[in-house]
Amino acid sequence: MDPLAELKQTFFQECEELLGALEQRLQALDEGSTDPEDVNGAFRAIHSIKGGAGAFGCTELVAFAHVFEASLDHLRSGRVAIGEAPFALFLRCSDAVSDLVSAARNDEPARPRPDLLEALEQVGKAPGAVAPIAPAPAVPAAPAGDVPPGIAALGNLLAMVEAKTGFAASAADSGWDDEPAAQPASTKPGRDIILRISPENDLFRRVIEPRVVFASLPADDIVSIACDLSHVPPLETIDVSDCWMRFVVTMRTELTIEEIYSRFDFTLATEEFEIEVRDDAPANDDLPAAAPAAAPIAASATQASEVSGSVAADLSAILAKLGPAPEAASAPVAPPAAPVAVPAPVAAIVEAPPVPKAAARAPANDAAAARQRQAVSVRVDLDRIDKLMNLVGEIVITQSMLVECVRSLPYDVYAKTAEGILTLSRQTRELQDHVMAVRAQPVKAVFQRMPRLVRELAQTLGKEVRLVLEGENTEVDKTIIEELADPLTHMIRNSMDHGLETPEDRIAAGKGPEGTIKLVAEHRAGRIVISVTDDGRGIGRDKLLAKARSRGIVGADEKLAPEEIDQLIFAAGLSTADVVSDVSGRGVGMDVVRRNVESLGGRISVDSEPGRGCKFTLALPLTLAVLEGMVIRCGSDRYVIPIASVIETQHLASTPIEHLTFGQEVLRWRGEITPLHRLGALMGSSGSPNENIIIIAETERGDNVGIAVDEIVGQQQVVVKSLEGNYGTVHGASAATILGDGLVALILDVDSMLRLAASHERHPATELKLAG
Amino acid sequence: MTLQLGEKHFSSAQPESAARRIVTFKVGDRTFGIDVGMVREIKGWQATTPLPHAAPHVRGVLNLRGVILAVYDLRTSIGMGTTDATATHVIVVVDIEDKVAGLLVDSVSDIVDVPVSAVRPAPDLERDEHGLIEGLVLLDTDIVALLDLAAVIRDGGVEGPARVARAG
Repeated sequence: MDPLAELKQTFFQECEELLGALEQRLQALDEGSTDPEDVNGAFRAIHSIKGGAGAFGCTELVAFAHVFEASLDHLRSGRVAIGEAPFALFLRCSDAVSDLVSAARNDEPARPRPDLLEALEQVGKAPGAVAPIAPAPAVPAAPAGDVPPGIAALGNLLAMVEAKTGFAASAADSGWDDEPAAQPASTKPGRDIILRISPENDLFRRVIEPRVVFASLPADDIVSIACDLSHVPPLETIDVSDCWMRFVVTMRTELTIEEIYSRFDFTLATEEFEIEVRDDAPANDDLPAAAPAAAPIAASATQASEVSGSVAADLSAILAKLGPAPEAASAPVAPPAAPVAVPAPVAAIVEAPPVPKAAARAPANDAAAARQRQAVSVRVDLDRIDKLMNLVGEIVITQSMLVECVRSLPYDVYAKTAEGILTLSRQTRELQDHVMAVRAQPVKAVFQRMPRLVRELAQTLGKEVRLVLEGENTEVDKTIIEELADPLTHMIRNSMDHGLETPEDRIAAGKGPEGTIKLVAEHRAGRIVISVTDDGRGIGRDKLLAKARSRGIVGADEKLAPEEIDQLIFAAGLSTADVVSDVSGRGVGMDVVRRNVESLGGRISVDSEPGRGCKFTLALPLTLAVLEGMVIRCGSDRYVIPIASVIETQHLASTPIEHLTFGQEVLRWRGEITPLHRLGALMGSSGSPNENIIIIAETERGDNVGIAVDEIVGQQQVVVKSLEGNYGTVHGASAATILGDGLVALILDVDSMLRLAASHERHPATELKLAG
Repeated sequence: MTLQLGEKHFSSAQPESAARRIVTFKVGDRTFGIDVGMVREIKGWQATTPLPHAAPHVRGVLNLRGVILAVYDLRTSIGMGTTDATATHVIVVVDIEDKVAGLLVDSVSDIVDVPVSAVRPAPDLERDEHGLIEGLVLLDTDIVALLDLAAVIRDGGVEGPARVARAG
């Protein structure tokens, strides 16, 4: 891949994150947050997207993002009160940006959104809103009429930057360009600031260009931008991806130093620019007339090698305001691009007020420190982490093999080796923990895509829906995160289409018109459990059963418990929606979801209460890689049970056991009646099981169950190996692992074992049929 | 042992490229064959871990250099009982439908080139209800039954549509 394409790829990846942040901030604001940080966060996100998009020539995206950014800026500046802002519109715009990003990513034509752009441009123009303070400097009006507003906005932006930098017009191949400076806007409130921007050579490679840098400053505040091309090497030796330009920006602004720093957060490192405050005193309105005259000399004053004619004018204006300087005021107008001898008195005046400069430095240092704190993350290719993880898996296996070998050594040798082995185990575990931590991510990455889905579906379906997210920060392995998006999308679609009623139906049913969908993530029994709960009508059991009968999935005279009927929703080809809609209803969906989830070693179940709603629960392993397991034996077979599911172990002999009907046994444990299952019978273990030990395990629902086994062999880390890959689902087991002697052991899945047990009880003669 | 028959049959029409290269192996006194391209490796018997509630011909799973694969007992598949596996028995590791599987057989005999036209369709035998045999080849005195591996393995994987139907 060529470097540019690679950068572009990175940009799109960042866009995903930025879009997530944007949406999240807007969502918070929409829900009533008045935190300015939310506004700033949203602004920064769209701003960064715009910046990157500009660098890659995604014009439609830039155009839209610019308008969007501008309207968000009204909020930031307080021209529009946060409480009055149209966040619903902003959210739709954030969706549109997301579409534009994916269009740009796939090189597809983007759908123009003139409606949104128009609405955006109205923001801040509402009656009562304060009009923009100063008009933009001489910008050629973009051709209106047949050009979409977005493109026009882009034209404006480009024109603005060109006008201020003189790039297009007069970027000479040596020295300063000699564009005349804009008139200093000294009548504007605020203070004069000179920004010296000396970007590192790698500016372009960081996907930043000067235009992006300038665009982060309020356009109205920029008095002039001058470009110093004197560092540019001869054309024949130049590497076009190096940036050799230096800039001096003169502005009159009300921004504080910190605000300027924060505006460059995304574009420049702190050492790449200097801020110099020229004047904290109120502007002297009497003097601007003298300014142009003073220009050239003042220019040469401070930084003879760095200051250009265009800046000169502004500097002189500033000087003029500092106090009447006869020399400067009386000097004749010299050719702008001639930085000749510097009159000492003027230089002295420029250097005179050191205090504001020092003051400007202090916050700068703070900002630098803050930057350092932020810059501790690294973007790493997932492939590399995967390789690392695989290697850790191999080490875990090798280590358990070593342990096995060492056991058979004579005692004196063993004693010496044992310590080393012990240390090795500890280190392996630590290594593995750290690698896992690298891979762990909050489910937020998936959750934050859902509000958009719900918004769009609500509109399509004409339903009112409130989405509640909980446990977004629950962490889970990256691979699982990726696999979560599809099932969750399906589940939410299903709930919105089939579960929730229309507002009229809801009111008729005595509920509020607005339905609620709750998406909750939590850790339980070593798994991540995600539930989607709606307060809709629940599963229509009669209809579902009738359909299942007509499709031959359920025999005509077969009796099913209500819960069993509910589970039919996962059978292939069943849908209860009366009308097949675009959203769902073709009966592909929940069965696909179930298959995908199972292939990950997870499981999905449904609880429905007619008229009250429906809850889908998705349980997935936290990682697909390694887990801490208890190795147990039953008959001649060994199994691994995840430590996370084990609560305690006890001797069978010392536990009072009661026999119920059909051979079902229960035991009393901590005052609770707990069902007891014998592993040998459950899993058909070979040899002759002779259970001595009861393992009390926890299910995903939080219930307890006793599992009787022959022996506890030990506790160790095991590498999870898929059974699905080369075989298929094994009831009772979630996966397999390789023990120290190279043999395979099944990793037991308590919930799946219980289903196995339940199906044995109901249909003792047949295979279980719908076991999830 | 291939050449004689092959040449007798196909000296005239068939180009060399239309040949199938087949690995033959024995279960009891019967000879079976599969395309050599499907065979990944051949290894001696090693103990497997049984799977609960699996079909009878699924011997269990084993660890092949870190990959877990299921081993199917061909003897059970063809209705001849269960192989009493010893160190002399052989597992043919095959690639089938993007999965890796092991086939437990008594011994591997040979690799032979068989012209495509020498493959006769399997007679429509009632006994072969699962369609395990894809074709037959005459090789000297032996009849080599070419296996449809997907069919052999299908009944081992759970939750095939056929299985659910039977369960219901």
